[in-house]
Amino acid sequence: MAHAIWSGAINFGLVTIPVKLFTAVKTDDLSFNMLHKKDEGRIKYERICSVDGKPVPWDEIVKGYEYEKGQYVLLTDEDFAKVNPEATQSVDIVEFVELDKISPMFFDKPYYLEPTKQGRHAYALLREALADSNRVAVARVVIRTKEYIAAVKPIGDALVLELMHWASEIVASDTLDLPGAEKLPEKEMQMARMLIDTMSVDEFEPQKFSNNYHDQLLTMIEARAAGKELPKAKKAPARSKVVNLMDVLAQSLEASKKRRSGGNGKPAEAKRRKKTAA
Amino acid sequence: MNSKERSTISVGARELSLSNLDKVLWPRDGYTKGDLIAYYRSVASCAVAHLKDRPLTLQRYPNGIDGETFFEKQMPRGMPEWVERVTVPTPGGSRSEVTFPLCNDEPSLVYFVNLAAIVLHVWTSRIAALDEPEFVLFDLDPGEKCTLRTLATVTLAIRALLAEIGLKPLVKTTGGYGFHVVVPLAAGYSYETAKVFAEIVARHAAAELGELATLQRTIAKRPQTAVYIDFVQVGLGKTIVAPYSVRARDGAPVSTPLHWAEVEASARRRSAIAPADEFAKLTIRTLPGRVAREGDLWWPKAWKKQRLEGASAKANRLWTERG
Repeated sequence: MAHAIWSGAINFGLVTIPVKLFTAVKTDDLSFNMLHKKDEGRIKYERICSVDGKPVPWDEIVKGYEYEKGQYVLLTDEDFAKVNPEATQSVDIVEFVELDKISPMFFDKPYYLEPTKQGRHAYALLREALADSNRVAVARVVIRTKEYIAAVKPIGDALVLELMHWASEIVASDTLDLPGAEKLPEKEMQMARMLIDTMSVDEFEPQKFSNNYHDQLLTMIEARAAGKELPKAKKAPARSKVVNLMDVLAQSLEASKKRRSGGNGKPAEAKRRKKTAA
Repeated sequence: MNSKERSTISVGARELSLSNLDKVLWPRDGYTKGDLIAYYRSVASCAVAHLKDRPLTLQRYPNGIDGETFFEKQMPRGMPEWVERVTVPTPGGSRSEVTFPLCNDEPSLVYFVNLAAIVLHVWTSRIAALDEPEFVLFDLDPGEKCTLRTLATVTLAIRALLAEIGLKPLVKTTGGYGFHVVVPLAAGYSYETAKVFAEIVARHAAAELGELATLQRTIAKRPQTAVYIDFVQVGLGKTIVAPYSVRARDGAPVSTPLHWAEVEASARRRSAIAPADEFAKLTIRTLPGRVAREGDLWWPKAWKKQRLEGASAKANRLWTERG
């Protein structure tokens, strides 16, 4: 697995579970570098001081909050830690709630939690207890200098820390002009339901959906990298194709023959049900 | 919404309660759902012979041909107990099995049509052997500027190629713009066999016919004056518009089995007639008379089940040596 992006502990009650945090979702977005068109030189960014006009090294950079035009309060990493020192290294569980009580809109980004050696037992205990009670933990977390609320959920063998939005970040839908539940014609409702029935599946299979834009872009990049132009649809000469097909047909007929002479293939199963009215 | 008038009729041994018979489904022709049911009843014995024991997909138009349509690829809700059905496993599908309705008698047909099912699509196999298609299919689809004459010429060329290797195809209008040409098959051939065989014939035909025909699947890339020879419409779960099925177009055209002589006559037509204009004569209004006069041109007499072994050997000899 990749590098842990954070290590700390889950605290709840008197129990502390040392854990590491790992990325659970990676984006498929392709990243591009900016180049100078004429010589393909990489474009570099430099941090230039607006007062002396010179580049500034990282260790001379501090953060400032502009509380008034041109007036800054300077803050250091220690300052950020001071605001909530206890949370900086931990996932502090505040409460437990049933998962479906949290609107899915609140969930932002999931991370895997992995226990260190000492934490394995307590980790398993928390995971199983959560699964049993069908609840998730709501926790306060600070990653780097930012505080979040997060849910800790059992998913398979893992505990997943899912960062959440603050209530103030969720935009209410009442600013939109939406139709109410006026009386809808029953016939139309029936048809809509019928459509839904027809298109319904038992399981959501995300692998059915592919990111065409990404795949095509990648195909193009790979072709260019190999020094080729884009693959074009080739027109096979009709006659040679027929010759190849003749072999395919011969094999296929042979297979049909074996089937008929009581081979292993059997016709597709179908259950016919004829119902007679009582 | 119209008032929900219901009327009860007896069809065979069944009492059916039908709804909204006055509902106009073809606004420019004034044909109602009652007219549609009357048509299907008048050709019921012919239509059912082709529908029987084939998993059926209803294409429903609850608000007429201008309204929205949906394909019902399973048994409709509330289907009466007496309508036969078949449950088909769907490997790889999202559900493990699907129950399809079967149209095995006239009361079932009337029940389906009462659901505003204008177009009836069926599998190419029957429940006794769902993985064995009963025919090889060529779906001949003329481009926007293709004339009836070109369409008929291409269709006759395919018939001639099939005859050259000893096969006797049948032809029907699709009810839309083109023709369906089928070669009835003996039992025991797989979809794979039917498809590869059709592809060989189609590729050979396209090579012989030059600009008159195309195998290009992308519509935008097809020459508009050519006929698209579609040979891929056979496979497990793939459907074809059944013979005598009505289409949801102005005039209520019907997918009609034809005499080959009728296609030959079309090929001799001088003026640049669009295929759809010619097929506009075969509608729910004219079909009952035609069927009474001609009988079913496909079934049972003309439906000769054929084997592909000899034909393949001939095709291999005749078509691969010339090049």
